[in-house]
Amino acid sequence: MPTDSQAKTGAWRDPTQVSSRRSFVLMTMGALAGVGLAGYALFTARGASTLWVPAEDVALVNQQPISRGDFLMLLQTLYGVDLSHATREQQQKVLNDMIREELFVQRGKELDLASSDPEVRSALVNAVELEISENAITAQPSEAALREFYAQHPERYVSEGIMDVRDVVQGHESGKTKGDEFYFAAKLHLGDQLFAIARELPDGGVSSPISLSDGIHVLYMVKNKRPVPFDFAKARPQVLSDYRNQAIEQLKAGDESFLRKRANVRVADDLR
Amino acid sequence: MRFTIVAILGFLIGAAVFANTGHVERKLLRADPDILTSDPALLRFAIRRGRPLFMNHCAACHGVSGAGNPVTGVPNLTDGDWLYGSGRVADIEQIIEYGIRSRNSRAWSLAIMPAYARPRPNPGDQNIKPLTPGEIGDLIEFLFRQEGRTADAAAAVRGAALYGGDAGCYDCHSLDAKGDAAIGAPNLTDDITLYGDGSREALFLSIAFGRQGVCPAWIKKMSAADIRETAVYVYSISHRDEMPNAD
Repeated sequence: MPTDSQAKTGAWRDPTQVSSRRSFVLMTMGALAGVGLAGYALFTARGASTLWVPAEDVALVNQQPISRGDFLMLLQTLYGVDLSHATREQQQKVLNDMIREELFVQRGKELDLASSDPEVRSALVNAVELEISENAITAQPSEAALREFYAQHPERYVSEGIMDVRDVVQGHESGKTKGDEFYFAAKLHLGDQLFAIARELPDGGVSSPISLSDGIHVLYMVKNKRPVPFDFAKARPQVLSDYRNQAIEQLKAGDESFLRKRANVRVADDLR
Repeated sequence: MRFTIVAILGFLIGAAVFANTGHVERKLLRADPDILTSDPALLRFAIRRGRPLFMNHCAACHGVSGAGNPVTGVPNLTDGDWLYGSGRVADIEQIIEYGIRSRNSRAWSLAIMPAYARPRPNPGDQNIKPLTPGEIGDLIEFLFRQEGRTADAAAAVRGAALYGGDAGCYDCHSLDAKGDAAIGAPNLTDDITLYGDGSREALFLSIAFGRQGVCPAWIKKMSAADIRETAVYVYSISHRDEMPNAD
């Protein structure tokens, strides 16, 4: 026959029996764990008011963090030293400068300088555009997307043609061209009309006489290396750059459209 | 009852691991990144956590091993040659945070390689004029000579004059062509090539059509701890001789 105390111990250990003591202990542990987790989250969550500085920051100015990475970078820029070689004075100087900057930025927000100072407005517009671009650049397009873009814009991915052409006017070389030139340079030197004829000439080809205001020209093509398409491997860096630029422009347009839809813009009667 | 004890023990162990991980992570963040190698335990912790982060964020371009790809102009992170900075953990961390030509206002974006076969080689600098195909050829011979490879002597002399004169190459790559890590201008005298195989054709493409590689800024996508751990991992694959024997 078990005693009362043995029965109580048995009930505590046996999950099939009700034990008010076990319930109380488990509830207390659960409550303590909950309080612990809540406290941890409360004092470490980003943006929460905390009494200590997070490890990734060197200071909090009105709860606004000053990043440790930026502190190290500034220390390196100003004094050319890393943290372990910086003197206490150097560290304090950099930290004070950063705190001062943060305080002034916060004051600038309080004064709403963006509504009146054109330089602040311009800097903000620029910063928002950069932010959009930055997001587009972080997204890595797939190879299939790049190949599709490459296939859609074949005209962009060709080499620059090279020509060595002589321009003869009234029996004398005009001297407008000198040896091998890229097409754009030859076009600049010859002018649009002569260049259009020159680019069609084969190696060793001679044009028919061309009558222009300064006399009759004859073109002699020594060498004409026409533009050739780059294969995808050669063009890839440029394709990636163009793809990203297009994504940036699309994102900017999308953001502007979203902002316009969200905004309450009223235009004066005379300008509607 | 046994189940209850196991559950409590499991919870306590989990909480202890969580607390310890947080503690080490804070220690890692507060440490001077450039003397991390003096703390093998911390280094191992960062490398272990940095590897999967590298795989998620960097391997798509730099490859799983970090060896890069000369076809796409993605730098090799394992060879100890650094375009930007000198390969310190702090340098790597800065690149991961703000990127290269990433459009972040703190990114490295001081210089681009002009496209000398275009009417305006560098839209941001009107002083840089286009070159002719022959002049580009002379520059290539000059670079071959600087690397100690066989080159046309007369063309190399003309190329040297262009390099230090009208082409303005010296402005970024420095007068001795050894580059400038402060602006990401590569050393042109060694056998490491960022784009292509170092052939005349590859050099022609770089000089004629320009280069401007991009590395994204991760500061808004990764936590400070993740960035530090990734930087330490990248440091570890480029400084294998300094690493502790683990992982």
